[in-house]
Amino acid sequence: MSEIKKEAPDSENTASRRDFLKLTGALAGAAAVAQVAITNKAAHASSGGEEGHGPQWGMLIDINLCIGCQYCTFACEAINNLADDMKYCVVTTETTQSGEEFFLSRPCMHCQEAPCVHVCPVRATFKRPDGIVAMDYTRCIGCRYCQVACPYDARVFNWRDPIELSPQSPTFGLQEVDNRPRGVVEKCTFCTHRIDPGLERGLVPGIDPQATPACVVACPTTARIFGDLNNPESPVSVALSEAKTIMRLREELSTEPHVYYIPPQTDNRFQGS
Amino acid sequence: MQTTIHYPKLRFGKKYVDIFPYWIGLLIIGVLFGLVGAFVVLRDGLQVTGLSNKVPWGLWISIDLSSISLGGSAFVFGVIVYLLRIKRFEIVGKLAVLLGFLGYSTAGMVLLFDLGQPLRFWHPIVFWQVHSLLWEITMCVVLYLTVLVAELLPVIVELPFFEGHPLHEKYPIIKKAVELAKSLSHWLHKIGPVLAVIGLTLSLLHQASLGATYSVLYGRGVWFNQSAPTQFVFSAMSGGTALLFFMSVIIFRVMRPGLVKDDVLYDVARIAGGVTLLLTYLRLWDWAVTNYYSFDRNITLQTEALNAIAPYSMAFWLGQALLPAIAGALLLSAKSVKNFRYLMTASVIPIFAAILTRWNYNFAGLIASSTYDPYTPVIRVSSYAPTWVEFAVASLVISYWLLAFSFAARYLPFKSSHKEH
Repeated sequence: MSEIKKEAPDSENTASRRDFLKLTGALAGAAAVAQVAITNKAAHASSGGEEGHGPQWGMLIDINLCIGCQYCTFACEAINNLADDMKYCVVTTETTQSGEEFFLSRPCMHCQEAPCVHVCPVRATFKRPDGIVAMDYTRCIGCRYCQVACPYDARVFNWRDPIELSPQSPTFGLQEVDNRPRGVVEKCTFCTHRIDPGLERGLVPGIDPQATPACVVACPTTARIFGDLNNPESPVSVALSEAKTIMRLREELSTEPHVYYIPPQTDNRFQGS
Repeated sequence: MQTTIHYPKLRFGKKYVDIFPYWIGLLIIGVLFGLVGAFVVLRDGLQVTGLSNKVPWGLWISIDLSSISLGGSAFVFGVIVYLLRIKRFEIVGKLAVLLGFLGYSTAGMVLLFDLGQPLRFWHPIVFWQVHSLLWEITMCVVLYLTVLVAELLPVIVELPFFEGHPLHEKYPIIKKAVELAKSLSHWLHKIGPVLAVIGLTLSLLHQASLGATYSVLYGRGVWFNQSAPTQFVFSAMSGGTALLFFMSVIIFRVMRPGLVKDDVLYDVARIAGGVTLLLTYLRLWDWAVTNYYSFDRNITLQTEALNAIAPYSMAFWLGQALLPAIAGALLLSAKSVKNFRYLMTASVIPIFAAILTRWNYNFAGLIASSTYDPYTPVIRVSSYAPTWVEFAVASLVISYWLLAFSFAARYLPFKSSHKEH
């Protein structure tokens, strides 16, 4: 019986990272600076106007506001009924070039050009018109190609039968979606089960908590902002246009994530654009 | 025409013993052990394996890729026999079809266990996602397996059982079935060239796609490689033909002497040798392009990380460059070497190299993969160790391969049929 390794880096992991840091600091630095500089333009160009009509759901995570409390992770676990080793959203401690630590909270990126959508042999993973990368759990054959293809490690395979009650329930909420069968790959849904019925009831995702992803609602510091990227008035669009710098993860892969970040401002090198 | 088959015997003191029953007994034990593992994995799911979210593809995928590659001789010889119409390879071609069938059916079997939802194995056939390489591979493998069955049937009906057996008179239904199989195989033999073209197309498509499955994943450093699909095709031709040579010597030279001329066997060895050299040449250029003439941070760091935990670079230089070059040269000069022991030893190397390539390719990108953090991405080294269940299922499919091959080697006549036409 095998235990799945924990997603979050532990202390020994961090130590090995440091070793690598010494090895590659200069190179990684050069790549990352270029990445951040380019991103702001690219992000603004691609936010808004995608798919033309209808909403395009997206998220902005302000790294400066994130305190690493993991409430987003716990709320996600509770409403999706996940065990601790099945996290859709993970919070890790990362470092800037200058060695300052920050928390990186990572849901599914809901990429515009999602590698997982392209590789799925049965179209179990698909891109919804509103930009959400969704899954049909009755169609997934469990080949795990999407997991191998995802550059963000956002996919989790359901190794076991569904659990009775998530360890984060009821503290962080109660199960809101059906259990997935053993043997399929799972992912963050941007809480489509809240967005879709919410829209029918005339609610606005990103503003009304009942129609907003659980991780956004649970965040005590409002580090996460959700909304329609196509609507310039939506909270996420306003925040994106007000942000000095924004970035997306692994921009160089051209996956065009729908999740944006405001990079840590502690390091002066990354201020302004 | 009746072929006499010599069964190899081992000498114990003064007694000569036919070890066939013991060998079969051993394989049956392998199958039974495997069935236990198969039962456990079907009952409890993939949690009984050593796979994880970091390393989701392991031993079974490596076996799947390897067994498909070692079936590569089927399409090479399908073309040689049916399209180029080189008659002297006809009998060897039958063995190639058998090896192809065994390779592909083994792969299909092991993949079934590797799926999280084995009962949904048919989904790719119904729910098409034409952009997915895995979809294309599934379709090709299903179709090609059909072609191989069609090509294999004429070989099977050569069994003495189909010529006349007391059971035929006792049960008319068996007689009917035998007659049907015979007329079907006669017709299939006639459309052989068509099957060969379809087989070639399907084979080239998916042997390449197996490499492309990994090489299109641009977030994975060493996997993202333009020449991997070509390498996979040539490595399947090289490993597959080398296996065909090895098995041909056993089946035709040892067990059915006189059926196939030595010169034909030398030619098979020369084909294997030629392709092996071509592959080695391709590989060296690939190495030069990805590691010497260009600099990719990810690939460099991955290689470094892999070298820290395993002899990764050495495995390449020794197992995929130096030894195949020597073995390829030796096999290519088979007509001067004229020593089957040397040639068989040499032919083991391309077989081993084909397996090593796939093994390395699968694990390199999974064991050492890049993290996604924005400023200081590093290469994360994950570990994977197969559990007994994975070894059991491996034993099941490998025993199946050997069992089917052993029976075929002992009982199939491999008659020459071109005299009939």
